[in-house]
Amino acid sequence: MKKKILPYLLLSPMILIMGVLVFYPIIATFSYSLKKWKLTAPNDIHMVGLRNYVSILNSDSFWYSFQNTLFILAVVVLLTTVLGFLTSIFLNIDVKWSGILLAVAMLPWALPPYVNGILWKFVFSSGYGFMNKTVIGLGLADKPIEWLSSRWSLLLIVSLVVTWRSIPFTALVCLAGRQSIPGGLYEAARIDGGNRRTIFRTITLPLMLPFLAIGITSTSVTAINVFDEIIALSGYSDLGKNILVESYMTTFSFLDFGKGSAVTYLVMLFAGILGIFYLRSLNKEVEY
Amino acid sequence: MKKKLISTLLILSMTAAMAAGCSGKESSGDSNTGGNGSASSDTTTSDDSTDGEGGSITFMAPDWAIPTDDQLKAFTDETGIEVTVNEVGWDDIRDKMVTAAAGGQAVADVVEVDWSWVGEFYAADWLEPLDVSDEVKADMPTLETFTKDGNVLAVPYANDYRLSYYNTKQYEDAEIKEEPQTWDEVYANCKTLKEKGVCEYPFALPLNAEEKTSTYLMWLAYTMNGIVFNDDGTLNKDSVLAALKYEEQLIKDELVDPADKTSSGMDAYKRILSGSANFLTGPTSFVSKSTNEEDCSVIGQITPILVPGKDAKATVTMALPEALGVTKFSENKDAAKKFIEWYTSAEMQEALNETNTAIPTLNSVLKKLIDDGKIQNAGAMMEQAELIASPFPGGVPAYYAEMSNTMYNAINKMALGEMTADEAYAEMEAKVAELAAE
Repeated sequence: MKKKILPYLLLSPMILIMGVLVFYPIIATFSYSLKKWKLTAPNDIHMVGLRNYVSILNSDSFWYSFQNTLFILAVVVLLTTVLGFLTSIFLNIDVKWSGILLAVAMLPWALPPYVNGILWKFVFSSGYGFMNKTVIGLGLADKPIEWLSSRWSLLLIVSLVVTWRSIPFTALVCLAGRQSIPGGLYEAARIDGGNRRTIFRTITLPLMLPFLAIGITSTSVTAINVFDEIIALSGYSDLGKNILVESYMTTFSFLDFGKGSAVTYLVMLFAGILGIFYLRSLNKEVEY
Repeated sequence: MKKKLISTLLILSMTAAMAAGCSGKESSGDSNTGGNGSASSDTTTSDDSTDGEGGSITFMAPDWAIPTDDQLKAFTDETGIEVTVNEVGWDDIRDKMVTAAAGGQAVADVVEVDWSWVGEFYAADWLEPLDVSDEVKADMPTLETFTKDGNVLAVPYANDYRLSYYNTKQYEDAEIKEEPQTWDEVYANCKTLKEKGVCEYPFALPLNAEEKTSTYLMWLAYTMNGIVFNDDGTLNKDSVLAALKYEEQLIKDELVDPADKTSSGMDAYKRILSGSANFLTGPTSFVSKSTNEEDCSVIGQITPILVPGKDAKATVTMALPEALGVTKFSENKDAAKKFIEWYTSAEMQEALNETNTAIPTLNSVLKKLIDDGKIQNAGAMMEQAELIASPFPGGVPAYYAEMSNTMYNAINKMALGEMTADEAYAEMEAKVAELAAE
């Protein structure tokens, strides 16, 4: 009997924490999303069913934000995965300064996202930014370029900034994966006549896939949840807003908690579906 | 053994950290400071040793509104009320207020209330009506902005109304004899300044997607045509479209720095302080900035003048004041009201001008400071203060934030060349009409 109760007893603190901090907010947010609930109309709060969702899915503003989110997601995941993987390969080379190099490579990850955004805003500032001084100094342009004033260039810059912050985590996870591969496998492959490319394709890459899956999932969630960098680079402008900015504006600026909760729920569903898809398709049994 | 020792040490250190986190002095007399107040950047108390005999209150405001320790001590000595100050960034105050009020909590007893928040705070029923004497009402024109249905919801402490500034030396260099009287003259003079190579981008105009861009359009239309909104809350087409076209022309003629499209509104304003812009209609704080060596590199060249109008100087100007209000959920309302009365009194306004460079909201105090020479280079400041009026016929609307968001995004798109003035107006008009109808 004691043995039956003990596991549940040990799990109970975590179940309590998850219940209060994860499951309760998820249920509460869903119930808010079914209500007409605008703080500026405190006497007019009532259930509206799925009307908030219908209204959001019919709004141009939501789909514009969704397109921006998809763009950022695609660029960030692609660049972070490729560059993070390559960085891990370099970091795995055993040299005298490996420890210091690893610490330096981790720095962007340690930066708060808003500080990261401000830093890059100085770089791309249209009037006095580092980038404009560089291109003018090199004679590539004769007057400052407005880097942040068109939709796609702004989104590309946001994506690069987020990529810069996300690479260290992916690199670290991949490095852990790379170092967990037994050296004997490589030795056996070499004895069997495998060249570098074959060894990478048949041993390194498949065995690192589960780790890449963690990196990609984490990067995807980061890319969907970008907020600080967008605000730092373009404020609450329509130009670069993603669905998270849309959610924030609806909830806290326009004080529409009903619609805001519905947008939040859609963001959560999108991130959840993507996470499940990644984990299912990449976390497979490897044969070698 | 070693593992056990490490585990024990870790558990002990975590327990100690938790105990440290849970300890600390609890703010007395207010049940809310532990929640939202804890995120503030700084917390000071007028008297840390004892609770005031008259109770205690919490006061949430941005750095420029925080009185000195001596001033707070004087208040506590006089009333017995202890004040706990939560210094919070201006942008964060509204978010904290919204989060707390949505949960039926008071973020603080006395809070900062910006002019643009008053409509939604009133609609949400978050502010306690205040008693203000007729004498103060007559002497404080910006109070109108914070009055809804006859209820005073907050008392303004920092006066910020629109005043124009121009660089006189650049006018001399371009051989322009007179200060501009109308917006058409401003435009013509800016063209002359550019053509003569005196100033490349003479007009300082915020065009970024932010609040300052919306308010600029509002006061441009207001001073140009005397109207912005119709009585039903919709935009007045003739007036607003004319103002938008004026801005569009300035952009097309490259009289505005392209950087103003993406840099902050304050950066656009500040161009006049470096001489890279010639003309600005902006905050009253630029009166003191234009005489401060740390802020201004063209001291002695900038003169504050009355805002131009359509055929002569404008007969109105718009104010964007900041005020203090008492939250409806406060448990110390009487003490909070006493604090506001003290804070906005004539004596304190004079003192706060000296310690915090706050521009008084009582015209009598403003006049006294100008007459005494305590506000230098005042120019038309006093004269302009007497022309303050609100462009909102029914007060600031509850949907102001959403309306402003649509306005600044449309203006920004126009500035970036994605829309014409007519298209930008159509976008604004549709949204404002929809919001007003709701």
